[in-house]
Amino acid sequence: MHSKGSMIFSWWIDFDVHRHAKLLCFPIVSGRSPAFIFSYFFFIYLYFSLQMLSNSSVIFPGVLESMSVDLQNFSFLRHLEDMAARVVQTFSGWRTMSCELDGAASAVAVSRDGSQVVVAGRNILKVFAIEEEAFVEKVNLRVGRRTSVNYSCSDVAWHQLDDNLLATAATNGAVVTWNLSRSSRNKQELLFAEHKRTVNKVCFHQAELHTLLSGSQDGSMKCFDLRRKDSVCTFNGQSESVRDVQFSPRDYFAFAASFENGNVQLWDLRRSDRCERMFTAHNGPVFSCDWHPEDRGWLATGGRDKMVKVWDMASARPRELFCVQTIASVARVKWRPERRYHLATCSMMVDHTINVWDVRRPFIPFAAFEEHRDVTTGIAWRLPHDPHLLLSGAKDCTLFQHIFKDAKRPADRANPEALCFGPRGDVAFAAKEGLSANDPARRALPGDRRNPFFFIRKAPEPYDASLTQQHSGSVCSVLNVFQRCDAKEKLNPLENESESFVELAQRYCLAGRPFAELCDHNARIAMELCRHQVAQTWLILKLLYAGGDASPSPALLPNGGIFCGKDGSSGLGGDGMSERGKSEGHGDGGLEEPNEETEGSDVENLTASVGLYAAAAGLYSGNGEEERLELLDQDTTTSDFPEFSLPPEAFALRHEIVDGPAGLEHLQTNGPDGPGSGDEDGTDEGMRSACQGKVGGSTAGLGITAAESVSLISVSQPLFGQTLPPEVFAPAVIAMLEFYAERGDVQSTVSTLIVLGEKASGGVDTLVQEHWYLSYLELLQRFRLWDVATQVIRLSTCAAISALNHDSTSLNLNCSSCRRALGAKGWLCDRCRRCASVCAVCHHAVKGLFVWCQGCSHGGHLKHMHDWLSASPHCPTGCGHLCEYT
Amino acid sequence: MIHDAQMDYYGTRLATCSSDRSVKIFDIKNGSQILAADLRGHEGPVWQVAWAHPMFGNVLASCSYDRKVIIWKEEGGTWDRLYEYDGHDSSVNSVSWASHEFGLLLACGSSDGSISVLSCLGDGTWEPHKISNAHTIGCNAVSWAPAVIPGTLMDAPSGPKSTPVKRFVSGGCDNLIKIWREEDGQWAEEKKMEAHSDWVRDVAWAPSIGLPSGTIASCSQDGRVFIWTCDDPAGGSWTPKLLHKFGDVVWHVSWSITGNILAVSGGDNKVSLWKESTDGQWKCVSDVNKGQGISSGPDETRPEQ
Repeated sequence: MHSKGSMIFSWWIDFDVHRHAKLLCFPIVSGRSPAFIFSYFFFIYLYFSLQMLSNSSVIFPGVLESMSVDLQNFSFLRHLEDMAARVVQTFSGWRTMSCELDGAASAVAVSRDGSQVVVAGRNILKVFAIEEEAFVEKVNLRVGRRTSVNYSCSDVAWHQLDDNLLATAATNGAVVTWNLSRSSRNKQELLFAEHKRTVNKVCFHQAELHTLLSGSQDGSMKCFDLRRKDSVCTFNGQSESVRDVQFSPRDYFAFAASFENGNVQLWDLRRSDRCERMFTAHNGPVFSCDWHPEDRGWLATGGRDKMVKVWDMASARPRELFCVQTIASVARVKWRPERRYHLATCSMMVDHTINVWDVRRPFIPFAAFEEHRDVTTGIAWRLPHDPHLLLSGAKDCTLFQHIFKDAKRPADRANPEALCFGPRGDVAFAAKEGLSANDPARRALPGDRRNPFFFIRKAPEPYDASLTQQHSGSVCSVLNVFQRCDAKEKLNPLENESESFVELAQRYCLAGRPFAELCDHNARIAMELCRHQVAQTWLILKLLYAGGDASPSPALLPNGGIFCGKDGSSGLGGDGMSERGKSEGHGDGGLEEPNEETEGSDVENLTASVGLYAAAAGLYSGNGEEERLELLDQDTTTSDFPEFSLPPEAFALRHEIVDGPAGLEHLQTNGPDGPGSGDEDGTDEGMRSACQGKVGGSTAGLGITAAESVSLISVSQPLFGQTLPPEVFAPAVIAMLEFYAERGDVQSTVSTLIVLGEKASGGVDTLVQEHWYLSYLELLQRFRLWDVATQVIRLSTCAAISALNHDSTSLNLNCSSCRRALGAKGWLCDRCRRCASVCAVCHHAVKGLFVWCQGCSHGGHLKHMHDWLSASPHCPTGCGHLCEYT
Repeated sequence: MIHDAQMDYYGTRLATCSSDRSVKIFDIKNGSQILAADLRGHEGPVWQVAWAHPMFGNVLASCSYDRKVIIWKEEGGTWDRLYEYDGHDSSVNSVSWASHEFGLLLACGSSDGSISVLSCLGDGTWEPHKISNAHTIGCNAVSWAPAVIPGTLMDAPSGPKSTPVKRFVSGGCDNLIKIWREEDGQWAEEKKMEAHSDWVRDVAWAPSIGLPSGTIASCSQDGRVFIWTCDDPAGGSWTPKLLHKFGDVVWHVSWSITGNILAVSGGDNKVSLWKESTDGQWKCVSDVNKGQGISSGPDETRPEQ
């Protein structure tokens, strides 16, 4: 394969006629597969040999296409085609160009060889020669001092057999033929004034030199023989005005006519009494029709209903093959030469662009020419075998030659994929389905309803391929909604983020209990949801602040009272507590949550704490008696120093805490997942117990970092005393808050902020706090956690946030019996001296939730009203109103 | 072909738009979805849809190849056109609603190179502001900055609360990313950012949930995804960081609501999720392959948990 490629390539070097080609091959060949390189050279070879044979750069794209059946489907072939277009245009020097006209154009027509173009309009009728760089005016056909209305053209046609023969249709009903070979200035040859109203269209027969057909607003079509002075025959469509007539290239005698009422008729030239066939093609006028240049019997029609339809006229009944929907009414339709499925359209209004459609892709144009600034009125492919050059005239008084290379490709802009991150962490993703679209049989059946098909997947699990096959095709998308993995697969803490957010939001206890207990509670919940880091944060907070708050005195009893706010018996003797601690520990042993110990640690004296460790160690699926004993020993030693002095490294430690959570989490996350034994577990336990020791001993320990904890195991490290003022921790805590905020976990930030309350709020800028609160509230609202949001608002220490709950909360009440506005009292009517809020069911004054019907203003206790209205639709007062309870 | 899918604020509805001119709304409940509405009105392929904040009701904006932007509103279960904007000369490629603090404010980017900002006045009329020549050849994506600009947040003294600046970012066919800000009712280009070597396909400004810095993700035809961060309070300096270079066009980037996970979808029909690790590197945390060609049982038979 390589040898062949190089052979061709060497041939190629010798072939120096087209020097540009060398530039073309290198970028494409590099990095491609040998197969590609081979095919590439093969095509290049074919192209140039063909080109040499035909000596025309124009012929090859068509040849290429017929060889490859459908170029669009093979990306590299398409690439090749684009490149070929570039080659053609590079060599030919054709380019997009324009010229100004004297008046608005209404039609353009090209001579057979594509060297001249005629532009017709109400005030213009000119022939231009198409040079390489510009249009050059050749003849102005509107001559003479008095310009006749006969020259006010609505259409123009250039005979495909005679380069000198033109025909124009005039708005006054005249059909004029012109002979460019006449030597005089006036080139008018014949004038047929037979139509009563505007002639919309003239059309020469492709094979017959003297046959001209016209279609008029008066509803008739006339066939002229240019050797005679009047029409040969008249075809009456029995319909409305004729908008277009086109001789069939397939059938010598047949022509198609399109009508303003939406009909298309097929006529035989030899039969003028009635049409061969008639069918309704569009809703509203059919402005244009065009036969497929190849011999297929395909007819494209364009109508005011913004559709282009392709009909198979060869079958017994015209069958709709394709339907293209455009954005504006279709004024002209022209098949693109050499491209089986392509046609160009221009619109009657709104849209100034010329669109080239691939009829198999009915929604997005294949290419668009956007040069015109006003409505395009006439389009014509310059040569019958060149798909790259298009001429157009428009109302903006310009004539353009468009080059395909410069066309916009709207489809390239189209986004074939959709992606959306849902609030619950699910990802919706739609993508183009199937590369099997290469198969033309599968593509774009007319009338196909391309419903996106839709299903949901929870885990990354392959979808059902059998379903997609029914919908495959280039224009079909599959929409998947990926949800996060279930909470049980805790492979990644990300996976259940949104669920745990909701859980945490709902279960966090933010106020109403003593501080330490709140911390404990929240830590436990966080732990249950495997948010170890957050749980640890709560515990640390408890250590920091509960201890510091308690009392500067080393007395343990009052401290314990604070810790054990929820059970009054906490002030009891040590032994009793020890028992309780143990039993609790064992009782909860079934639960595998390690933070149960935290709860169990609501004890206040040394014995109790030691007892608890035994229980705790038991919970840890026992690594061995020795270890447990060791732990006990350590704890005892730790607890032997109830009063600590401030060590010199206090400040260094503070900073460690900021970075602590990450490292700590790493160790901690391993703990609950790995029930096995081992050194690591031992360390873990040690850490935990060390923490517990501090809690139990109600010492405000700071040694939370891993290093510190480890050191606690081996050496009984002096810890901070309660004498330390809470301000010392403030920077660390603030850093912690900011750390969470930065990680996007604003929930932890705000929750801790609320629980800490005054303890921390001083240190953080109010605006920052406000931002955190607002962010959290927004999140809560997204998850429809209104009650939590309200609670957060209520508990916030930020003035601006607390004020949120006061927004638009005033209610104006009217008395339900006399309808007089109630004053400030709100429940007692001044006038009728009655209590306004009496329950209609039980006749007692309502305290608390009062629900009333807005129609009859009767109401009562929520439960009573609910019960009543679920049984009967009528108001319980008997006023007859049909209350609506939703 | 579906061009865009957007979940609403609560994640209970999904709006999709398609080449077939339709906008469809699905209700998502317990993993199943029901077609709730089919909005017809566009006359060309619909490129993008956007949900407004629910405080304005169920409002959806859609933009189309037909040069129109239609704002739909659901009232009493039926969707009606609230407003139709046809001020663009070419296909409208992107729509995006501003943060609800600014009211109903919509930015539309079009292939004609301009961006319009439509604002709903109190009386229900809409006022368009057009930024001409925002991107030569065309604008592909717009995304609003959150109402709170992080830069002002961290450094602001506890002085009087200033009203947040309206900013949005746009990406276009000129390979540029531009940040626009409103000054005295006029939109001015604040920043022009250049890193991509081909059309910018999508830009997404990260929601500022507790984040200290402004963050923008951008993706391009050249296969590269950049994360732009700004630590400067004035919003003047943005530094790009290459997230990854994909092998194909990257069509979309989308942030999770907390703004710490980025979903990226590329031309290879893959979605990948990216998260910034503590050392500031972006790591791919999940790869959702559409699983082309792999067959398995239908969805209903998946093992429950």
